[in-house]
Order: sequence, then C-alpha cells, then structure tokens
Amino acid sequence: MKIKKSQNDSRLIIALEGRLDTLTAPQLEAELNASLDVISELEFDFKDLEYISSAGLRVLLSAHKAMAKKDGMKVINVREEVMEVFELTGFSDILTIE
Amino acid sequence: MKNVTLKQDDTSLVVGLAGRIDSNNAAEVESEIQQVLGGAGKGPLVIDAEELEYISSAGLRVILHLRKSHQELSIINVKPEVYEVLDMTGFTEMMPVKKAYRRVSIEGCEVIGKGANGTLYRIDKDNVVKVYNNADALEDIQHEREVARLALVLGIPTAISYDVVRVGDSYGSVFELLNARSFSSMIQEEPDKLDWCIHEYVDFLKKIHDTRVKEGALPDMRDTAIGWAKFMKDYLPEEAGSKLLGLFEAVPVDLHMIHGDYHTKNLELQNDEVLLIDMDTLAVGNRIFELGSMYNAFIGFSEVDHEVVKRFQGFDFETSKTFWHKALELYLGTTNADKIREVEDKARIVGYTRMIRRSIRRKGLETEQGRKEIEHWKKELLELIDKYDTLLFSVNELVVEAKKENLQNVIDFVDEHLEKTECPMKAEMQIDMAVEEIFVNIASYAYAHEDNIGKAVIRVETLEDPLRVVLTFMDNGMPYDPLAKEDPDVTLGADEREIGGLGIFLVKNTMDDVTYEYKDGRNILTIRKNL
Repeated sequence: MKIKKSQNDSRLIIALEGRLDTLTAPQLEAELNASLDVISELEFDFKDLEYISSAGLRVLLSAHKAMAKKDGMKVINVREEVMEVFELTGFSDILTIE
Repeated sequence: MKNVTLKQDDTSLVVGLAGRIDSNNAAEVESEIQQVLGGAGKGPLVIDAEELEYISSAGLRVILHLRKSHQELSIINVKPEVYEVLDMTGFTEMMPVKKAYRRVSIEGCEVIGKGANGTLYRIDKDNVVKVYNNADALEDIQHEREVARLALVLGIPTAISYDVVRVGDSYGSVFELLNARSFSSMIQEEPDKLDWCIHEYVDFLKKIHDTRVKEGALPDMRDTAIGWAKFMKDYLPEEAGSKLLGLFEAVPVDLHMIHGDYHTKNLELQNDEVLLIDMDTLAVGNRIFELGSMYNAFIGFSEVDHEVVKRFQGFDFETSKTFWHKALELYLGTTNADKIREVEDKARIVGYTRMIRRSIRRKGLETEQGRKEIEHWKKELLELIDKYDTLLFSVNELVVEAKKENLQNVIDFVDEHLEKTECPMKAEMQIDMAVEEIFVNIASYAYAHEDNIGKAVIRVETLEDPLRVVLTFMDNGMPYDPLAKEDPDVTLGADEREIGGLGIFLVKNTMDDVTYEYKDGRNILTIRKNL
C-alpha cells in the first residue's frame, strides 16, 4: 500500500493506493498517530484503494472517533468493492462518505 | 576330438560334452562318461554343453541313462541348434536346460547410463547393453524384463531387452535404442532445450504416477523404505530414529507406479518419442518416494561435492538445481515457495535416509569423503525430522507457521488456485478477505498461550455442480469457536462500536456457508463460497 499525504493548514488529505489490510494497517496507524494531534480536519481519498479488511476498518474507526472531537473526517472516491464492505459492516452509516 | 571331460565346480560334478554325439559314438561316449565319473555316486550332475555341436536320438538316450543314476541332472551352455533338439524332444521340460549366451564385448563402448544395479553401454548405433553388477544376475534380468513388459502394457513407453548375453564374467541384457539420445546429453549439448526437457520430463513423470498397478505385480516401495528407516535407527539419536521410522510407516500403501530412479539419463528421446529405460527399480508407492530419489540424483549426491552430478549427468550442479526446482514446480502445479519447500523437504527426508544407508553399506564410514557426506546428510536429516510430522503432501494444502508475516503467502496460495477456476474478481476479493480474517485470527490467538508458534493448515478445494470453492483452516491451538461469538451490532454509532468481531462478521456475510468443529485436537473452520 502507498500512502500519499498532502496538508493544507490544519486539513490533512491522505490518498491510499492498494490494499489496506492486516499487513498495511499498522503503517497507516503510525502515520495517523504522528499527525492527528496537529490537524483539525481529515480527508481520505480512496480512489486507488482496492481492498479493505477489518484491520483497515479498525484504523478508520479510531481515526473517525479522534476526529469527531474536532472538525471531522470524510472519505471520498470510494470504489464499489470497498463500499460493499462499508455497507455490510454499517460503516456507511458511521463514516461521512462523499 | 575328445567328447567327454570331467570338470568340477563348488557344488556339483560337471561333465563337459563336445563335438557330435550320434549313433556312431553314443555307446563310446556313454562308457567314457562312466569312466570319468568313476565311483562319484548319485549326487547332482551338470552337463556343460558349451562345445556340443550336435546330438542325435542315440545321444539323447545317453542323457536319459545318466538321469537314472543322477536325478538332479541339468544341462548348461546349450548352443541354439542343440537347444532346438532338446526343446522338440521335450528334454527342456524334463530337466533344467540353460541356453548358451552370446558374448558381447564392451571395450571402448560409450557409457550411457549407470544405475543402482548395472551400467548401460552403447554397443553399436542401434543397440545398448545393460551389464549387471551382480555376477549372478539372471534373476535380476528376468525381473527387469517382466516389469518392463508390464509397464509397456500399462502404456509407459519403454525399451524391452530382446537378448541376454555374457559380458566378461557378468551378464547383460541387450536393448534396441535406435538413434536415441538421453535427456542428459540433450541438456548438456543444447542448453536452450532445457525448458522443453523439463516439460517432457514432468509430463512423463505424471504419466507414471497416474498409472495404477494390480496389487502384487510390482514391489512395494513402502516396504523397502521402511527397511531403510529401520537401518537408520542405529545411526540416529533414539528419538529421531523412532520418529523417522514412524514417518515412513505412516505413508499409506499406494498402488500407483513409481520408477525409483527417475533422472535424465533414464529418459531417452527416440524418433520424437520419449522412452523410459532402466526399469529394474520399478515399483508401486507414494510419490514422495520417487521425489526422494529424484532429489538425490539432481542435488543430494552432489551436496558435498558438486562435481558428482557433472561426472554422472554431464551437466553442472547449477543446471541440475535449476532442473530439479523447475520440474518440482511444474509437477506440483504451483509457484508457491512455501509449498515447494515443504515438498522438497519431505523428499529430502526420504533422500537423505536412502543415501546415508547406501553409503554406510558401501563402507562410506571408512573413507574421509564418505564420513564427510554422511555427517552432512545426517545433520540435514535431523533438522528435517524435527520439522515435519508427516511425509505426505497435497498440492491444495499449505502448511505454514501461524504468524501474521505468512498472510501474504497464504493469500497467494489461495489466489493461485482461484485463478485456475476463473473465479470472478469480486468473489476472489471476498475470499481473500475471509482468508485474511480467519488466518489472522489463528495467528493472533490459537497459540497465544504456548511458547512455540504452531502450524496452520489451509486447504483449497474447487467443487463442481454448483461451482464452489471450499476452504478449510486447521490449527492445533486451544479450542476456540469464532462463530460462537455474537455478531456485532452494525447499526450502532461510532461511539458505541466495539473494535472487535468485525472480521468474522464479514466472513459470515460474504461466504455462503461457514462451519466450525473441534476434532482430534484440531480447530477446523470451513468456509464455502459459491461461484
């Protein structure tokens, strides 16, 4: 998985490419731990994210919780395969998806 | 010319007959025989007919008279013309009659193969002779002829010997091999044909292993191999020795054919047809025994001294290694490195056992080189005995240590099978997810209370009507039914959400069936996905 970050003042955009799974989730978690304190808004671009497993969902959920106390988190450009996982698990109701 | 001479061998009296024996001299010959035998009694008597040119009915009566006083009478070294008379008159049924063998010289002949029991020489453009190591090889020759015939009838192209000859003090059997070239010389002379050779070699191997043989028609390799393992008990630490024997004994009886010495010198290309030769080791048994002897031929024997394979096959150790690995990959139909290593390791257990025993019996412990090899093989063998609990393998089953680092191997293994079934992308992705969730579960919890990381077994099956994939996950960890846990409430908001349980929930909701059982000390989780 590739992680591309771009920051605009206190708004962080993270674009993921590839698979967000057990093996790659810790990588994303580490990135977020390093950034969440200093930002107020988080956006995930999932245009190139092909796959997500429960390990990925866990990272998204804790990021969502952390950002809920600030200006929030949203997810954009979600592919069909990933969207199905969100829907099955009720994440489509929890996350702000555009 | 003298018609009668007295010879003697270790066990019986031998009377040599020579020239012509007919009504003119029969009476004279008979009294000469009585004379040379003197008071020799009624023990076994052998007539050596090497120099006998002709025998008429009067001569035959002399032999009949002799049989009255010597009931154990036999005739050896009979020339074809004389044999015909003995055969027509029924003498060949009354007493053992052995033909004389044509003499063949192998001086200056090219060695084209060397097997466990003999050496193959090309005697002219179209013929080869296999000279047996054992001086008293007639039974071996007969055996090889019979098994070659059996193989041919079962659809395995091979050369059958058409004549038995004498070569020096040994026996040989003669085969026709027209314009044939061994795979070893092709690989050596035309390296660009390597891949072609590997394909043909593996296709032929599969043909052998798919051939079922009637019970009792061929020796059982399992018995032989158990014999090796028993021999090894004296040379291994007690525990390792017992485990090794147990591994061999646990291999089930299998009636599929194996060649037993399947390397590239024993495969010949003759007019575009591939022929298998050197059939004396033909047997039935589990294919792991075959793979063991193949490992030895390509790698095992040359592990300490890389020149061994060069001397034997003509190509170098690197080529040999490449050949073995590519052939194994093709034979197993997988590129999964873990799977290939597992099968290779199991083949090595068989291979090392065989080589160590062979070397010790050939006084390997008495030479420095021999001791060095035995030490090396033994060290490798002990590590492998420690590592494996069975010699069996299955290409749709992967055994890995239950740790997260192996997840990618497991997914690759499953995907390789799915791709063969033209599994739709979406289903493949869902199956990948299920594999990840379940394997990570096993890796995280199954052996959490143990000091050592245990194994996880993943089996993939594709079944028809309706087309479906069944995956089975097995581990020996503590009993745990992941399905027993209540599903997470997916309608809850973020704050009430618990972090666990989503993985199994996803599996249940994307697969068509998920079942769990605990049996024989194993957690067995099975998932099914209809395609």
